[in-house]
Amino acid sequence: MNTPETTATTRPFAPRDPETFFKAQERNRRATRRMSALCVFAAFLMGIPLTLVLTPFFYAITMATAEVVNYFSPLPPEFWQSANNLAKLAYRVADTVINQRGVLDPQELAIGATLVLLPGIALALVLWVGTLLLFRHGGVGGTIASLNAREPNQADLKELQLADAVQEMAIAAGLPAPKVMLIDSLGANGAAIGTSPADAHIVLSRRLLDDLNRDQLQALVGHLVASVGNGDLHIAFTVTSVFETCGLIITLINAPFGKQSRSTLWRIIRYAFRRGPADAESADADEVAALLADMLDMNSTDIDRFFSSRKPGLIRKFLRLVSYPFLFTNLAVELTLWFFLNVLLGPCMALLWRTRRYLADAGAVELTRNPDALASALQRLSEDSTVVAGGSWATHLFVVNPSGDRSLRGSSPPANQQRKALELWRAAANAGGAVLPGINPFSSAGPNPEEYVRVRKEIMSTVMAAVAGNVDAAARMQAFARVMGADPALGLHGMPNLNDIFLAQRGDRAAIARIRMLQQTRYPQGQPKRGQTGLQTHSFVSFHPPLNKRAKRLQKMGAHLTAPTRKGSSAVAKIVIALLYLIIGPLLAVAGVLMLVVIAMMIGLNLMVLTLWLAVIHWAFAQDWPKNIQAFVGFVQQLIAIFSKAR
Amino acid sequence: MDISALLIAVIVAVALALLFLLRVYNQLVAMRNNVRNAWSDIDVQLTFRHNLVPNLVESVQGYMSHERETLEAVARARSAAMKAGADVAIRTVAEMALSGAVGNLFAVAERYPELKASQNFLLLQEQLTTTENRIAFARQHYNEAVRKFNTSIAEFPRNFVAGAFGYCAEKMFAAESQDQSTPQITTSRKP
Repeated sequence: MNTPETTATTRPFAPRDPETFFKAQERNRRATRRMSALCVFAAFLMGIPLTLVLTPFFYAITMATAEVVNYFSPLPPEFWQSANNLAKLAYRVADTVINQRGVLDPQELAIGATLVLLPGIALALVLWVGTLLLFRHGGVGGTIASLNAREPNQADLKELQLADAVQEMAIAAGLPAPKVMLIDSLGANGAAIGTSPADAHIVLSRRLLDDLNRDQLQALVGHLVASVGNGDLHIAFTVTSVFETCGLIITLINAPFGKQSRSTLWRIIRYAFRRGPADAESADADEVAALLADMLDMNSTDIDRFFSSRKPGLIRKFLRLVSYPFLFTNLAVELTLWFFLNVLLGPCMALLWRTRRYLADAGAVELTRNPDALASALQRLSEDSTVVAGGSWATHLFVVNPSGDRSLRGSSPPANQQRKALELWRAAANAGGAVLPGINPFSSAGPNPEEYVRVRKEIMSTVMAAVAGNVDAAARMQAFARVMGADPALGLHGMPNLNDIFLAQRGDRAAIARIRMLQQTRYPQGQPKRGQTGLQTHSFVSFHPPLNKRAKRLQKMGAHLTAPTRKGSSAVAKIVIALLYLIIGPLLAVAGVLMLVVIAMMIGLNLMVLTLWLAVIHWAFAQDWPKNIQAFVGFVQQLIAIFSKAR
Repeated sequence: MDISALLIAVIVAVALALLFLLRVYNQLVAMRNNVRNAWSDIDVQLTFRHNLVPNLVESVQGYMSHERETLEAVARARSAAMKAGADVAIRTVAEMALSGAVGNLFAVAERYPELKASQNFLLLQEQLTTTENRIAFARQHYNEAVRKFNTSIAEFPRNFVAGAFGYCAEKMFAAESQDQSTPQITTSRKP
């Protein structure tokens, strides 16, 4: 015999293995340190192919310039001698490393490595520091503006509660209270935005306030405040700057070839040297950041357009010929960046960011001493739409993945809520709503999970019937809505407004549009637009930890969660999925290796084309052109003479 | 030769020890200031409540004029709390009494349906909730600061420095008696 208490409340979500929030924080701090080291290592690994592309390019440009200069005013022979020595050294080192031939003393190897790695490293560092300095004074106004955020209204109870909750959490954390902004979006989500705790902003959507109760709201704000206190703003800034630096490298390489990158570059320069009002400046910063993030996307860039325009003029043809190595360098750099960002550096940074989320979760528990509130808030958000419009590259800052996370969806609400919902549904039947044929509202004595699930289905089918025009069903839903009152804790939110349903039945277009919009935000269709998911598109691992993992950790800290009622897939399906993984895993590994081979070939090709290019340039500048032209003119004159004689 | 090497080693060791001393001392100062700051934060929140109470009484007066006793009890408790002075024990008792009186007021207000339904009352209730929460969180923050400080001065190398400069463990804020006496008027936070 099942009693409601034992069935509904305490099916643990995961094995309990209690951990205090102090321990959890310590563990996550250690994890952060590990992940940071991993990130640095990944950046180093990514830097190797990048320098292998950029360094020869750099030397080729230097040599070409030297040739040109040499033609007009001869350079000292020492320059050519040392260049020659270096080239010979590079050849020897490459021969030893690649073909395992010959012996090399360590000093030579060190010089060779320095020569190859130094220009790339120096360039990357200079660009990165430049990006950091560039966006440091940008502030957060631009992001806030792009989110269309507004100040909370003190006369509104929910918004007052939010402002109070932020104050309370700031007091608990001993921080200056962050500024609160609200977004009127359809999704329920929130983020902490800023560059330092002093200018931190907490941005929440209005829908979040409507969907969560005060405790849950406080827990969520606690997460954001703890995140600010842990210094996540600084980390987020660094992570973003790495992506922006990559965008900058591509912009720089593209700059000679097209308007788009030139205008981006021009905007960056203007932004760097202009000092205007703070608002305009931060709006500028946001735009520039968005431009750089856009440059990272692998769609056709200026250089592709330059080489693929259909009818090139003569000058363009000549320019194409001269700048052919740029194409290979560009392709190699883009390919390298794309591959290593998505597969190596991006995931590392995403994992780093995930540990920060877990850390902030533990921090929220420390501040509120109420793990239940945060867990239930996350559960509620899993049921909700979490879309945020216009966040662009800031989306990874949000507390729950804006593209939705349903891993906690379908969990049954606590026993008392279940009981209440059942009672209300029955009361609605008594209060005059007719009973649909085939549905017996008094089927069993006590509420148990199966019955709750059954009733939920029943409610849904009644709604469907009401929409389809069944008068009885409509009456019953109306009665249910009446007795339910404005209790948002019943987990029935997100259903369309009943009045809208009735209006829609009568053909009210506005009501139909509202229902449709609700449906779309709950179950967004199709791919998100570019820019909407921001940095997340550059990492195959999401920046947001899955909600069920977060819930598991909260449960260790004492939260009482009920497991999702969604049935696990059958054994056969599991075996099929495992087999699929077994097949796909090696295929993916092979694809990765192939990609590496392609990148290596690109690097080699780049080197070859550069060498060829240099050889042609060297040959061209080694000729005595005036003499050659004289000879040529003489030759033509001779020809003409021969022809005229023949006549 | 040997002596000069020894001398250098000694100088380096002394310099390192001094650096360590400097660092630990500064950390201790910062932590103790943190504790003091947290303590004064509690005061700030208590004053916040003192300032809120007259508004509160003002706005419910119209609805519950014949609950004069309750209203007067609140006013009395407030002035007693404001006059309580610097002694921690006396102040704690006075603030506890104020908490109880305000809680009682809200418990009584539950009996007035038109008052309960008004938006104004809901806002007031929220204000009261947040004041109580702020005080509780300020205490929590204070206790956390004290815990960190106490752990820090008791840990091995630092305990010598702390002892030498006369740092001793600060007292935690014991909130048990207080929380039990406060009637549960809002659902927002469990102690």
